[in-house]
This record gives sequence, structure tokens and C-alpha cells, in this order.
Amino acid sequence: MKKNTLYIASLLTGFFGLTAALSPTSPVPKTADPAVSRAAYGKIMTVLRSPRCMNCHPSDDFPRQGDDRHVHLFNVQRGKDDHGLPAMRCNTCHQTENNAYSGVPGAPKWGLAPRSMAWQGLSDGGIGRVMLDRSRNGGKNLAELVRHLTQDSLVLWGWNPGANRALPPLDQPTFAKYVREWADNGAVLPKD
Amino acid sequence: MENKWKLSRRKFLIRAGTVGGIALGVTLVECGPLRRKLGQMANDGKLQSYKNHYAPDIWFEIAPDGTITLHSPKVEMGQGVFTALGQIAAEELETDWKNIRVVHAHSARGPVDPTVTGGSDSVANLYDVVRNLAAQMREMLKNNAAALLNVPASSLRADKGIITGGGKSISYGEVAAKSTHWEIPKDKPKLKEIADFKIIGQPLPRVDLVAKVKGEPLFGIDATMPGMLYGAVARPPFIGAVFKSAKTGKAETMPGVVKVVVAKEFVGVVAATRTQALDAKQALEINWEKPSKTWNQPDIEALIEVGKGVRNVIQIKGDSDKYLGGEGVLTGSFHTPIGAHAQMEPNGALVDAQEKKATIKMSTQVVQLTRGEVAKALSLSDDAVDVQPAYLGGGFGRRLHTPHAKEAAILSKAVGKPVHCFFERSEEFQNSYLRPPTAHLLKAKLGADGTIQALEHNTSSGDVAFGSALLPSFAPAVFGADFGAWRGGMIQYSAIPNVKTIFWRCLLPFATSWWRGLGLLANTFAIESFMDDLARAAKADPLEFRLKHIADDEAGVRLKGVLKAAAEKAGWGKPLAPGRAHGIACCTDVHTPVAQVVEAGMVNGKIKVFKVTCAIDPGLIINPDGVRAQCEGAIHMGMSAALTEEILIVDGKVTPNKLGYYNILLLRDSPEVEVVLLSTGPPRGVGEPPIGPIAAAIGNAVLALTGKRLSRIPLNGKMNSI
Amino acid sequence: MEIHFELNGAAQTVEAPEQTPLLWIIRDYLGLKGTKFGCGTAMCGACTVHVGDDPVRSCSFAVKFAEGKKITTIEGLAQGDALHPVQQAWIEEVVPQCGYCQPGFMMSAAALLKHIPQPTDEDINNNVANICRCGTYFRIRKAIHRAAALAGQTAPHKI
Repeated sequence: MKKNTLYIASLLTGFFGLTAALSPTSPVPKTADPAVSRAAYGKIMTVLRSPRCMNCHPSDDFPRQGDDRHVHLFNVQRGKDDHGLPAMRCNTCHQTENNAYSGVPGAPKWGLAPRSMAWQGLSDGGIGRVMLDRSRNGGKNLAELVRHLTQDSLVLWGWNPGANRALPPLDQPTFAKYVREWADNGAVLPKD
Repeated sequence: MENKWKLSRRKFLIRAGTVGGIALGVTLVECGPLRRKLGQMANDGKLQSYKNHYAPDIWFEIAPDGTITLHSPKVEMGQGVFTALGQIAAEELETDWKNIRVVHAHSARGPVDPTVTGGSDSVANLYDVVRNLAAQMREMLKNNAAALLNVPASSLRADKGIITGGGKSISYGEVAAKSTHWEIPKDKPKLKEIADFKIIGQPLPRVDLVAKVKGEPLFGIDATMPGMLYGAVARPPFIGAVFKSAKTGKAETMPGVVKVVVAKEFVGVVAATRTQALDAKQALEINWEKPSKTWNQPDIEALIEVGKGVRNVIQIKGDSDKYLGGEGVLTGSFHTPIGAHAQMEPNGALVDAQEKKATIKMSTQVVQLTRGEVAKALSLSDDAVDVQPAYLGGGFGRRLHTPHAKEAAILSKAVGKPVHCFFERSEEFQNSYLRPPTAHLLKAKLGADGTIQALEHNTSSGDVAFGSALLPSFAPAVFGADFGAWRGGMIQYSAIPNVKTIFWRCLLPFATSWWRGLGLLANTFAIESFMDDLARAAKADPLEFRLKHIADDEAGVRLKGVLKAAAEKAGWGKPLAPGRAHGIACCTDVHTPVAQVVEAGMVNGKIKVFKVTCAIDPGLIINPDGVRAQCEGAIHMGMSAALTEEILIVDGKVTPNKLGYYNILLLRDSPEVEVVLLSTGPPRGVGEPPIGPIAAAIGNAVLALTGKRLSRIPLNGKMNSI
Repeated sequence: MEIHFELNGAAQTVEAPEQTPLLWIIRDYLGLKGTKFGCGTAMCGACTVHVGDDPVRSCSFAVKFAEGKKITTIEGLAQGDALHPVQQAWIEEVVPQCGYCQPGFMMSAAALLKHIPQPTDEDINNNVANICRCGTYFRIRKAIHRAAALAGQTAPHKI
């Protein structure tokens, strides 16, 4: 049943495109409960606002680092492809997995979220609208967004950050459950 | 000729060269009562050896191929001492520069390093020694050439390593190869006139330049020995922790582990590879004895205050008390934080400890001390231990302490193989000999004419010299004040009639000691910041105000010379771009006066230094490019310490303990540096003096720009807000 | 684990635990000491090598990632007897003092020039963030500009 709902939701989102995704009244399955979606979104936000997610979704061109979200040392910058400057690439230091000897974190595709997916300074609703906006989220429909949030290796790194970095406030299965709950019940966003 | 050193006339030592030819050397420090040596230290603020020996500390070898190798008792840590000593030698030897090689003297080839490498005194102390030795060698070559060519020595001339006369010529190499007997002449050789110098004074490229650019294995950490293993030592993780015991079972079963060694003071691991050693070290379960107190930053700051600790008056002239008790006394209070050396090459040692002898390859500034400590740990005589110094990946005083050599020796002995052991970077912070924090209180009274009637400097600090194993334990009782900590603390404005400097020795719960310039940066920051405050109070130009308070004696004339030269070159008094200001400061250290003018502004609320103009008078200059490089380096290191570097103690931990977080200046922060060279008198020190004025010069520029006095280093730190 | 890669043009096979930092493979297993250990946390850049065309901090690069890659260290920067323009410039500007950090700086600078042949000061500031404790930055900047000029002179003429 759940699978079907998700399938329909993604079809609908795909069909209605931007308008549907952005509208809080986008068509949803009959079983959907906006209150459940809204509550789940609140839980999701506790994770998205953790340093593990926010550090790489800056609204400027400088990654953040650490649990205190300080500006990344050494003036590290976004660069043209979100993976650093020509001779100061993210992978100058970060590889595809955490390095136990150096403590340097790593995961596949290590880099900044594109500027279009900047989160810093946005309200909860604002972050959600950025996530759902296919013109900004890399063309993802809702199903693809759910997959990104629950399965993408870079996102999953947040729960395996290494070197005593703080974990997000929810464990990964719980987070994934809330993401699906949010999406299944209409991907409702707060106004702000 | 014998292969053993033979003491010859006029205290020269002579023997056959190691590859044929001849070796000629001289002893630097003569035997003398310990008391006299300590007295010299007190007078000069310099370290002296108190070891006696009868072999040379510095010597040349001339090989049959004409190569002249200078065995340097001083280690090369970037300061350019090899190049300078080589130039001095080449000059008097009348040889071609390309024939000169400079190497570290190994202790097995003769005792070396009686005076350590530090204190900016290598060239100043060895200039005459090397010149005389080289001139002696030149005359001996000429005398032997005279016999070989059958031409009177008086008619021979030496130039570029060739001796000519009477229509004949012979190279130094040939003389060395063909001579079977060497005689030290009765008369002291004639030294060249300064006007005739061809090599001294030239900006020759440093002797290690190409090797360093090619990445050749020069450094202590690069050393290898056949069959070597890798060690890792667990070091105390917080202030006051003392090793008690360790459970080693898990570590012993780790891959590659050869042995876990539980020594009296530490536990260490030896393994086949470095990562295996590091992994096994993590697996040790160590019981650290905890101190009664967990130290935090406020506790440390409460220890370092003027008025606390042991009081010692170290400078007094006139009667400053008469002026500084009443009305109208101006005061200034300044603080500097704990600092780290953060030299790029971590400390370490490769030791092959065998039953009857030991060989050590490492970076050390104290060859003899290292040797003695290892000998003691292995129950060997000093002669059985050969220390082979490597190039240092930075020294800055950190390598005047080398207890890690002893640790590597104990590990090596335990496994019967050579072991290399090094510091992880976090240990370079936690288990170091940090620059102590300081606090300063200055008082002054201005006369009606705007001149200073009386000036008093109170300087309080943790130990510097007294924290060193180079000094005997009774040194504090002999000296009272720590000559390392008060370095730069005496007031050098010799025209002020009433002056007093009081040193307050405060004890800290962690090890502190030598750092580039010792107390120079902190003390100059305090005095020279206060001088600008006084100039402001007197409504005087800071440059004019300084010049007015310096007497016209020799030191004063030289100090005025650098102030005027720096000001002129920087365009002192001329308008700058909007939002920028000049600041000036000066000091005299190891008889070398330095003045700096900083051009600074505020960018995003932080101080940005755009340009530093530095004038220095180190006396006779051996290599002007080397002096410039030392000025540039000291300015950058001092700027970094002044603006951003700061160690804080948190729950007994030295924080930060990572590079990057310990905020060292980067390329993007680097200013333009212009150096003006003046030269009065004989060669003086260079490596440390230019680190003195920079912090105050920056603070004074900020004062000129914003009207606000920043009284705490780091100037860009949280404690200061503009 | 057996790992195969090319080091300074020569094929290498090493048997080592896969997580071993490439730095120690280069230094201790293969004996090339030009690549330096400075901090072990990818902060200082003393261990910078090239993996392909990109600069990499080898203290934080597990050797398993080197499989099939072309690695260049300071020892491989020169072409035979001909020094790399960066090395030549380093000599002409007499950059090193203690010299320990310089191989890392030169590798970073060489990588910069590969991607930006005529860098501005800002390019240099942003792309070369290694640490030098002796404070040779002033000369490093001059040397990078000089290296760019030297490389420009020797570059084959393009029609």
C-alpha cells in the first residue's frame, strides 16, 4: 500500500511539476493526513538543521565545519562545480570515506550542495520549498527527493561522521521513517 | 699523519683527513670553572658550555680533490648558519665558493656543539674563530706548497684554491694529496681587510638550497638504518598526568607489534610499520596518575600576575620610585598568551642502541645534551654515543629539549634494533615546552616638556631558561631572575633619567621554555606599546618621541639609525590609503637594533597588515640575502603570534592541539616585507631580534587608526574588540 | 592488500593494510622522503602529492585509493635533470629556510599552475593554503609568479 501511495504521489508531483510541489494543497492520496506530514516535517528539520547537514548547505561559497559550524579553515571555497577551487579541491583532503588516521571525514561525492540548494538562513518552510523545487533540487521529484534523503551516500554519512563528531538528533531509520511519513502524507510544509 | 687529533701550537688541533688530506680544528670553549660559565650566562643572557674536552668543536678537512668540508658545530635549522660559516671560511681560505661543503659535525668525529644552537649567536661567536682557522689553513697550504714547488712561501699567492708564484702553480687539493707533514706556523696568520672581502657580504644562495628544493632526505625524520623498526610512545594526555602502569595485553596481539615496552616513566610500542605502532599505542590501557588539580585557563592566568611570584630588580638607574608614587602617573597593562613552537617537522629520534654503543640520527639543537641523556639512559659513557645531527625542520627553541631521544633509545635497546620514534602533532602541543604567558605593568611620569622623567617595567612570566635541562638545578638560586624570560624586558631608552625593571618569576604547572626570541616578543610588545601611549599623552609623534629618549652612546646611535632608516623607507608621516595607518616599534636584542614600521588597516573587523618595513643593524653582514630572509621569517612568525596564535588550557588539555586551529598565518595573510640593512661594527645576531618589534608595531598602527589600545595578544583575538 | 600504482612514472606494487596513509607508503615502504609528515590531519599540506593532476594530502589518503592511479611526488616533479619551473623559481627566489614544508608547497604550486597557468595573487591565496612556520610566504608568492613566467617562456608555441 505504502509503495503505491508513494508511486502515485511521485507521479502527481511529476505531472504537476513545480506548482504542485510548491502548493500546500497539491493533490495527495485520500489516506494522507496533513497533520501527520506536518509533524513529521518538524522531526525531519531537527536533522536537517544539524551541523552534519547544514555545514554543506551554505548560502554563501564557504563550507562550514565542526559541531559549532565554524567557517571551514583555510578559506576553503565552493568553486565552480561545488567541489572546490582548481587546485584546492574537496578531494585534496576528503576522500570517499572517513579516514581513521587523520580524522578527516569523507563520503562519495564529497562537496557542497549547489547554491540553489542553500539552506542557511532559511526558515523551516523555506528549506522545504528549496527541497521540493525541481528547478533548484537537481530535478528531483518527490520520490527522488525521498530517496536522496534516505539513501544517498553523502546524506547517510551524517550518521557515520567519524572522529567523535556529533550525530544528528534522530537515528537514521527514525529519520527515514519521518521522511516517508512526511512525503506519504502530502509533503506538507509550514508557511514559514 | 696520524688519524687522531693532536694538539698543536697555539691550541690548534690537527690530524689526517677522513679521506686523505688534512683536518684542522679548534676548541671553542676552554676549560673553566663552572661558576665563571654561569656568570657569563648571567651577563650575556647566553648559554655557555660547562663541559670540558680536548678535541675540536669546529674543523675543516681538505680532501685531495680540493673539496673543503667545514664540520659545523652549529645545526642548520633554516637560519642559514651553514652558508654564513661557509662564506667566512671561503673568504680567508681564498678558495672558490664552489669548493666549500658544510656538514653537521657528528659527535663520533669529535665532540661538537659546546654552546648549543640558539640565541642568535652562531655567526657572532664563530666569526673570528672560523676566520682564524681558515687563515691558518691557508698559510699552512702555502707553506707546504712552497716546499712542493720549491719556491719561497713569501712569493706565493693563494686565490680561488690555487697557489701560484715563481711561475708555478698548484691546487689546494694537490697540496693536500702530496703533503705528508703539516706544521702550524709560529705566527698568527694575517687576516684580510674588510675592504678586500670578496665572499663575505655577497648574497650567495644558501648551500642547502638545491637539496631542499629537490626534496632530498636531509631531515631527522628522513633518517634510516638497516632493519629499523617504528616506535610509538604514549605521552601524558593532560597537565600533571604521570605514568603509573599499563595493561599491554591487547596491544601485544596487534598486527606487526614486536614488543610493548613498559619503562619507568612511559610505555611504548615497537612495531614493523609506523601505522602498526600507532594503532597498538591506541590499544594500550594506561593508568595515569592524576594531579590534585585539573587546570583551566583562569587558574593559569591567576598565576601570572605582576606582584606574584619571586621579585627581582634587573635594571635600575636613578630613582624612579621618587616619581612614580604620586599624582599624574601613567600606567599600562599588557598580556601575552601561551604560545607553541609548531615547528613543521615533529620531534623524533632514530636510535640504534647496541650493547656497547649507540648511534642517534635526529634533529636537535643540543647535540651534547642529547648525547649525555641517551648515554645515561643506556648506562654508556658519552664517548660510546654518536649523535649525528640532521637538518632541522624548524627549531625555534623547541629542539633544545630532547628527552624523546632517550625514549627511542630505551625502545631500541629493548628490541635490539634501530627504532624511530616521533611525536604526533597533538603531542607536539600537549607534551611540549610552551612559550610561557606573560603579564606586564608599566608606569611612567612625563615632565612638563613632554619627556619621560621615569619609567618602570614590571614583567612577570613563567620559566624560560629555568625550564631548560641545559641549566643546572641550582640556576634559579644563582640568577634569581630568568634571563630567558626577561630578554627584551630592560628599557633601552637610555636618555630617560630614572628607569627600573622588575622581573616577577611565576611558576606554572606545565613545562615552558625557549621560543624564538624568548621573552623578546612579549616584553617588546609591552614596552613599545606603552611608548606609543606615552607619545600620545605627550602629543608627540611616536618616532620623534622615541628618538628623543635615546642617548647618543654607541647602542643609542645604532638604535636611532634603524628607527630613522625604517621610517624613511616606509614614508613615515606621509599620507596612506584611506583606512590605513602606520605603526612603529623598535628593540635591541643581542646587540642588534631593529625597527619596524607596519602599514595596517581593518578588514571585516580584523586587523590586516599590508606592509612591514624593517631596518636592522646586525653589524658586519656575511650574507645580506640570509639576513633579509631571517627578517622576513621573524616578521611572519611574530605577526602570526601577535595576531592570532593562542594556547588555552581547558581541563588540563593544551588547546587547540591541531594545526589550523592553532591559527598560524597563511600565504593569504602574508604582507609585503621590505628590509633595510645597516651595518655597524662586528657581526651580531640576526635570527631573533626582528621578532621583537612586530607585535607592538601592529598594535601601534591600530592605535593610530582607531584610537584604541589593544593590550592583549593575540590582537585579533576575542579579548580585544575594536 | 596488494595495491598497484604508478609512482613518478614507475610501476609499483605494495603489500600493505588498505587503510595505510599513502604518505607512509611513499616514505617508509618506498623510501622517498621528500613528502613530509607535518600534522597527520590534512591541515598543513607538507604531505601534498599529485594523484593524477590533482593535489592530494597524502596523510589523509588511504593507499587503497591509489590503486591504478598515477602518483607524483617532489622527487618526480623534475623531468630528468631539468627542474620543474616551480623548482627553478624556488631556487631563483631562494625560498626555503628550514625547507621542511617546501616540497608540499611546491607540489601545491605546481598543481595550481597546471590548472591556472597565470595565477593572480587571489588565485594563489585561495589555492595554496599550506603552512610554513619559518615564514617564507613572501618569497613563495614571488616564486609562484616567477614559475608561471618561466613555464610560459618554455611552453611550446601554439599556433
